[in-house]
Amino acid sequence: MQLTIRAEGENAEAVSYLLAKNPNNVYERNYKGHLVRFFYSQFSKNAVEATIFVTPDPIELIKNAASAYDITHYINDREFAVSSIFCSFIRTALGTALNGQPKEDYKKWVDHPFPFQFSFGPVASSLSNSQILDLFEPLGFATDISRGEANYSFNIKEKSSARWITLTGSTTLQTALRQLFVLIPVLDNYKHYYIDEKEIEKLQRYGEGWLEDHPLKEFILRQSLRFKEVYSLVEKQNEEKTDKQDTAKTERLNDLRYEKIIDTVHSIEPKEKVVDFGSGEGKLSLRLGFVPGIKEILAVEPSESAAVRALDRFEKAKKKEEFLSPVPVWGSLFYYDERMKQKDIMILCEVIEHIDEERLPKIMEIIFREYKPRVLIITTPNKEYNRVYDMSDELRHTDHRFEWTRAEFEAWCAERSHSYPYDLSFEGIGEENESHGFPTQMCVFKRTEV
Amino acid sequence: MQLTLPYSGIILLTGPSNSGKSTLLKRLIDEQQILPSEVISSDDFRIMVSNIEFIDWRNRPKEEADGLFDEYQQISQEAFDMMDALIESRCRLNKLTFVDATHLQPDDRKKYISLARKHHVPVMALVLDTAQETLLERDALRENPRGSRRIKQQFQVFKREKRFIKKEGFTAVYMIDANELANVEIYKRANPVEIDLHEGIDVIGDIHGCFDEMIALLEKLGYEKNEEDLYVHPEGRKFVSVGDVMNRGPKSLETMMFFLRHVKAGAAYMIDSNHGWKIARWLDGRNVTLSHGDEKVAEEFTKYEEMNDAEQSIQLKNELKEFLLEAPSHYVFKKNNIPVLVCTHAGIKDEFIGKQSHQISDFCRYGDTDGFDEDGKPIRKDWFVHHKKSVLIIWGHDPKPQPLLMNQTINIDQGAVFGGQLTAFRYPEQTFAAVKAEKDYSGADNNPLKEWEKKRLDPPNIGKFINGYSVLTEEAGEIRVFDDTVKPAIDTVSHFTVPIEQLVYIPPTMSPTPNPSSLSSYLEHPQEAIDYYRGHGIETLVAEKKHMDSRAVLLLFRNETAARKYIGTGTLGAIYTRTGRRFFDKTTEKTVVSALNEDLQRAGYFDTNQTDFILLDAEIMPWNLKAKELISSQYAHVAENALLDRTILKNKLSAAAGRHDAIQSWLEEHHEKVNNALVFKEVFQKYCWDIEGVQNIQIAPFHVLAHSGETFFHKPHMWHMEKNREFARYSSFFVETEWKLIHDESSAEEVIKWWKDMTEEGHEGIVIKPEFFIAKNKGKLLQPAIKVRGRKYLNIIYGMDYLERANLERLKKRNTGKKQKLALKEFALGVEGIQRFVNGESLERIHECVLGTLAMEADRVDPRL
Repeated sequence: MQLTIRAEGENAEAVSYLLAKNPNNVYERNYKGHLVRFFYSQFSKNAVEATIFVTPDPIELIKNAASAYDITHYINDREFAVSSIFCSFIRTALGTALNGQPKEDYKKWVDHPFPFQFSFGPVASSLSNSQILDLFEPLGFATDISRGEANYSFNIKEKSSARWITLTGSTTLQTALRQLFVLIPVLDNYKHYYIDEKEIEKLQRYGEGWLEDHPLKEFILRQSLRFKEVYSLVEKQNEEKTDKQDTAKTERLNDLRYEKIIDTVHSIEPKEKVVDFGSGEGKLSLRLGFVPGIKEILAVEPSESAAVRALDRFEKAKKKEEFLSPVPVWGSLFYYDERMKQKDIMILCEVIEHIDEERLPKIMEIIFREYKPRVLIITTPNKEYNRVYDMSDELRHTDHRFEWTRAEFEAWCAERSHSYPYDLSFEGIGEENESHGFPTQMCVFKRTEV
Repeated sequence: MQLTLPYSGIILLTGPSNSGKSTLLKRLIDEQQILPSEVISSDDFRIMVSNIEFIDWRNRPKEEADGLFDEYQQISQEAFDMMDALIESRCRLNKLTFVDATHLQPDDRKKYISLARKHHVPVMALVLDTAQETLLERDALRENPRGSRRIKQQFQVFKREKRFIKKEGFTAVYMIDANELANVEIYKRANPVEIDLHEGIDVIGDIHGCFDEMIALLEKLGYEKNEEDLYVHPEGRKFVSVGDVMNRGPKSLETMMFFLRHVKAGAAYMIDSNHGWKIARWLDGRNVTLSHGDEKVAEEFTKYEEMNDAEQSIQLKNELKEFLLEAPSHYVFKKNNIPVLVCTHAGIKDEFIGKQSHQISDFCRYGDTDGFDEDGKPIRKDWFVHHKKSVLIIWGHDPKPQPLLMNQTINIDQGAVFGGQLTAFRYPEQTFAAVKAEKDYSGADNNPLKEWEKKRLDPPNIGKFINGYSVLTEEAGEIRVFDDTVKPAIDTVSHFTVPIEQLVYIPPTMSPTPNPSSLSSYLEHPQEAIDYYRGHGIETLVAEKKHMDSRAVLLLFRNETAARKYIGTGTLGAIYTRTGRRFFDKTTEKTVVSALNEDLQRAGYFDTNQTDFILLDAEIMPWNLKAKELISSQYAHVAENALLDRTILKNKLSAAAGRHDAIQSWLEEHHEKVNNALVFKEVFQKYCWDIEGVQNIQIAPFHVLAHSGETFFHKPHMWHMEKNREFARYSSFFVETEWKLIHDESSAEEVIKWWKDMTEEGHEGIVIKPEFFIAKNKGKLLQPAIKVRGRKYLNIIYGMDYLERANLERLKKRNTGKKQKLALKEFALGVEGIQRFVNGESLERIHECVLGTLAMEADRVDPRL
């Protein structure tokens, strides 16, 4: 990680005063094993070139990091790429220039524009070249971006993901450095290392006079402030991601599906004990909590993170009247669980399509042979309906292992239950299409002997 | 007068002071009829706790007498507490103890009766009946006379109590007249359940009236019928039945008569059992309902009565009744007087071994049960998980398709009467022999063998795992799996892995050398691995080249029918990763597996080896096959950033080099750093190449773990590497792995040179293994393998500058302790799981091993090790 500052032209030597660094010396500081070093590669009256670079201690750098038990954590770009770490390392060395506080004699040069060239890198960024240009060009820099080499003995990537940026333009040293101190962290692919609160405090001060008018101000602020709100932001991004796949239509379909299941449950007697298998974040279980007549709801889910969210949801609903809080159960369809025996209603809502088809028969056998629910409700997408969504062969969700046509689902239900005493009835959920049926299909299995 | 005494238990001497108790015991000790340590006297204990044997408070003023009485009471209390604790210890250890005290009060005796019951040992009373005058005469002569008043008091109590003693619950009571005392002799019985192994025994599982199969089995074992119509072994071996010789089968009566004759003649042994006990009580005229096949036994008796005269029938019934009632709960076989083998019917607790009581008989007949299930069948608890002693226990009762070694116990009931097989376990050879049953004689709807087979592949019971659990492994004993790691493992199995039935093995993690290299420029070096094994007494080692790739497990079946038998689905096989995930996408897997099947079929592998499947531990190359994304976003990305950064800096420094001395040294430093980055970039490319279709995939199997009939953990690694070579001949997918033997200094040096040469080229390194798959030192499992990675390779693990002195010094402080412990546990779990899979055990028993390893991998360990 390095930054080279070059100034040419009349009085360029004054830049050394602004930097407060003697051209005949080198500068070196050691912060907990991380070395910050500065040297002039050129110095004359009308041309100055100086480089500041940091050599971090790779072992110290990764100590105490959150992902300490992830192998990729040890091999990463943090010790090379320019980032907020770089900025905080070099801030002291460039303090005089950043604050515009050289010795009284040289104060006049603080606001004097020089023809500058700033080159820095490597940059590890998810931004495209044009996005990077949009960050620097409004500030009056001619911006050049080059890449490292990506020549490998086998086919792995087209171009290098390491970039180098060179900015050319006439500006004051203080303004340019302040701009870099704001924009370098914006460029960087932030990962959970080094949350430096000081960076945020400085944002306002360093942004003074230029950030207000920057066309990408909102973006810059958001990128900078992700430090502060990193966790809530990550959360939001994840939600956005899943939401993107669910169009408004499918959002509505989810509700319709829950409504249909709840209606069906209403009409079933007895319904004291209900199991919601694969309850995920607990949306269906929550609705079941308001159905009168139910005395026990087991919300079964093997994923801890989903179960935690379900628990939050149940906690919030507890204040409402007539709400029976579902009991979260840590369980899995792939195991035998005696707690699931002899229930009134068992529901597999949008669950089976997430399981490899070959693993299903065993699961169904255990349900019918061992658990013996009075009523079993299964819902799953109707593949035929994908035509209505203008989908070709792709599945509705990346984790779906299969999707079935109505005939396939019906045949499967019949085959799985044929040696057990159950009556089957099929229904559709959602908006019906004349030739393709309903988006979701549902089978209700009713036990004929108890 | 001869007194017959048991081999262990409590003998209470009873009688007033001066009745001759101590004198009798002293004589018996002097004559070496009993041991001094077998005698415990309250007088001795009074001296031991207080230095005082007796306190005389007669003729003292009241306050003094009271004080002395208190003191005596307190001393007696302490003395008896100590004494009782000692007696209890001796009972636990199954020793005989004579208690020398008066035992005049019923409470004194009851205490020992219940103590004996608690520890399942006999308790007897030797009652010394001596006239009052004699007592008084003797008292006057002793050093510390008790005084006539006390003696008279004691005598009155004795006279009253004498009558009741017999009814108090003693195993036996001997009344001894004072005049007889001098003639008393002791006969100590041997422990009736302990038997010397002599020429060896053959333990036979539940016969259930399968007489013909039993004869066939005896003949198979080498027994021959002699002139007295007895089956005897030319080498003098004897056979033992674990009980249930009758019930359900066609010839229960004949089988019982057979054992009656053979046991009487000392040619065989038979153990008590649930059905034997039932028939015995029925023969005894008790009100019992004969069901579950016992009614067939009654029918056979009826037939016998029709064919024979009444007297003969009654005699047979009586003889059989006595025979069955007397059958012991278990036998302990001893070699050089050390117990080595226990035979029982349904189970036994360690503290019961060598003892007899009603409670023990009951436990041995039925095992440990926990109520009844909804169909009214007893829920059997796994009694054997509590077995801690080293003695091997052979049992039956609970039909299982295969004889299984579980926690140093073997169930040899293979359900002969249900159409299974009649099993014999030969000791000391520790081998099995079996005869297949002619047919299913039971006529039962719920044939336990079929029920078992039907449920074998049922999903494991989550309740057994979810709160943490233990796996009993043969190689490393009990291994604990904790709930905080088992939950994520269950989540993994629920979402990502191949079906549970196919997930029979997860390879263990592998530790690097326990100590870092002693050489200053290396982090790892083969010397430390060699030292580790030599330090543990292993001289012959195998060094195998390690491929940089992804570890994989290959389960390959002969055909789909075979697969259905073992895993319930028709497939030609599965290939999965160390985390249980499918290695390839489904289509590629099918292509690879089919091609492998074809190749192996062509080579006649399955036929030649008479196996339905092979289970292989392998590495699959190239690395980018699985890790393309990781290589691109981590390794390549880092290489590019490093090179860009360092090259530019080097150029700048070199332009400024003349300006300052410091810049010159920075330049040198960066010269080195650029080189480091170049090495880093070069190294990871070594393990990658372009793949078109499945053509360039290479599979290097290094362990043949199992065939359908056997595992190969007893083979040396040389054998496994020979197999590797063999596989490479069969299929172009399989590649050979180079390996070398270490058996002395020069071969060790050769391996080190070999390692140096290959790793300088960027190759990953080698794995050093002990000669045998399972290696132990002083009974403790050793690391099954140690990896020694090359200097260059470690760049992609510890970072490109790891060899810089300051970095290397710090890295050498790494701790491999946790990694080594996990490696051992996972290894033991892996071996155990495969053994169970090959034995055809239930999915649940196989899965608990696999899940254990997955859970351990969820534990946090430095991933660079």
